Amino acid sequence: MSGDTETRSKSLPVRAFTAIRSSMRSEWLFGLSGRTSFFLASAFIAVYCWIDVLLPTRLIPTYHKHILVNALIYAILALALNFVSGYIGQTSLGHAAFFGIGAYVTALMVLAGINFWLTIPVAAVTAAVMSIPMAAAAQRVRGSFLVVITYGFGEVLRYVCINIEAIGASSGLPGIRQPTIFGVKLNKMGPSGKEGYIVLTFLIVCLIAFFMTRVEKSRTGYAFHAIREDEIAALAMGIPVSRYKMLAIMISAFLSGVAGSIQAAFASFVSPELYASTQSILILTIVIVGGKRSIKGAILGAVIMSVLPEVFHSFQQVFKLPFDPWMILYGLILVVMMRFLPQGFWGRGE
Amino acid sequence: MIFLQQVVNGLAQGGIYSLIAIGWTTVFGIVGVMNWTHGEIYMIGGFAGYFLCRAGVPLVPALILSMLLGAGSAMLVDELGYKPLRKKNKLAAGGFITALGLSTFLRYSANAAFSPDPRAYPTMLEYRMINILTVGGESLTISSLHLTILAGAAIVMVALELFIRRTLTGKAMLAASQDMQTLALMGADPEKLIKVTFAISGALGACAGVFVGLIYAINPSMGALAGLKGWSVAILGGIGSITGSMIGGLLLGIGENLTAGFISTGYKDAISFVIMMLVLLIKPTGFLGFKFEEKV
Repeated sequence: MSGDTETRSKSLPVRAFTAIRSSMRSEWLFGLSGRTSFFLASAFIAVYCWIDVLLPTRLIPTYHKHILVNALIYAILALALNFVSGYIGQTSLGHAAFFGIGAYVTALMVLAGINFWLTIPVAAVTAAVMSIPMAAAAQRVRGSFLVVITYGFGEVLRYVCINIEAIGASSGLPGIRQPTIFGVKLNKMGPSGKEGYIVLTFLIVCLIAFFMTRVEKSRTGYAFHAIREDEIAALAMGIPVSRYKMLAIMISAFLSGVAGSIQAAFASFVSPELYASTQSILILTIVIVGGKRSIKGAILGAVIMSVLPEVFHSFQQVFKLPFDPWMILYGLILVVMMRFLPQGFWGRGE
Repeated sequence: MIFLQQVVNGLAQGGIYSLIAIGWTTVFGIVGVMNWTHGEIYMIGGFAGYFLCRAGVPLVPALILSMLLGAGSAMLVDELGYKPLRKKNKLAAGGFITALGLSTFLRYSANAAFSPDPRAYPTMLEYRMINILTVGGESLTISSLHLTILAGAAIVMVALELFIRRTLTGKAMLAASQDMQTLALMGADPEKLIKVTFAISGALGACAGVFVGLIYAINPSMGALAGLKGWSVAILGGIGSITGSMIGGLLLGIGENLTAGFISTGYKDAISFVIMMLVLLIKPTGFLGFKFEEKV
């Protein structure tokens, strides 16, 4: 009681600082204390990025760094999808739509000469606004029916992008300028040109991870939990179910839009393929493999699902296979996971 | 007249969609799982028909053999994919992801086995345009292929309707779509019924695959889009309603052709998703479906 009044008497910044400091100690990233895991991960990223500067030879190929950026972008998407699939317990096969929207908004704005960093919030907000129809749909239908609505949503947007000449139609928009920090281009920050993106995406992943641990312990998080367990019971308890569902979907779309923005700058190219349903399925697979509502699972799942295809791709080249063995295995992984490990590798049981 | 011609052109495609949709709707109505592999069964049917026709088997036996293969594949999917989950009572949570995985597995295995290039059936039927009516110098025509497909689809659907209305198994399926538990208490074997349901669904999917092969080229990923369109049709007609699926399929086939003819061919494939989303948002039970009541 006394502690409560004590914190209340302090000013807002001080309280915010105390709250952040105390929650940094909680297990928000890799199961270790938050600070420890954050510093360890940062150290790893720093070494991974810049060890080549100190060594006379190239230790880490550019290609590996490229895969790491991809993995981190997928980690952002998987964390974003967790708000829908993990928190309110609905499946979405349309998250590539928000990814695509974010990428296109950034691409169009940068091509119009606007600073990249300003386009990120605009892209994210646009994605969130565009998710309102999906959120409205989630009020009326769920389960399998919502899955097809989200799937259709992504596909329709893809067809729209393919058919509008002004945004490049099926060939997309090339030539997006590299963003700069203090006059240094983001692809000129290290020996391979990928370092800037690794750090940027890593920081965003950490930020989202931190945000998620805070959400889970908040009133909103408990409301999500109640909705996931039993929607009707949650409604009976006086939880405004529709408002929380809408909130979860919009946050999810917002974060996916951020990922799209970064993807646009990283590839310096956007195309309707960003909306492809295979992307949505991949994001969902990452969440399933890593485990729902597991931050560690989303990050590690994204790394696994980005590295494995490359491994199998090299198999294909070594053994001169006429087909890609990865996609076949990928389907099997989903089936086997559902049968033997439905909560994923790092998931928490219901 | 152009409008009517577009409507007629859409009928055959519509019949194919109806067949796919019935496969979706029966499985969803009875087993309660969204069988995402249905598009792949359709693809398997298309390829089975292709190889049989190439080997010189006449069209009707090839169609029947393909349907048998489709039925077998669908039962196998159930045996290996859904049955273990059903036994552990986890179908509701994991059924959809399992279906998604199996569908990816089947599609890319087919890609590896048959190569992703499109293939065309050998000429099985004589192609000619049949005049339906002539008004003021303009004539309404339908190709012999389209007419055959439409007739074939109608025959299959009538046979299915008779099976469901007249046989004990069919009646049991109808009852199962309403209340499986009570049906089990009445002495019916749910597992056997589920197998029959999957067999019917697979046979219809494979039949649609052969029909589509008669007019278009086939490839291993053709099931992805067609399967989803079938699901849209099933929703449009009302999940669980076979008649609804028939009407919905014809409407979608016609709607697609009208879109291609009057708006843009680029949006032809998008129209089914738009229809599906609108139906789900405005009238989630479709034309003829019944309401799934939420039990507390």
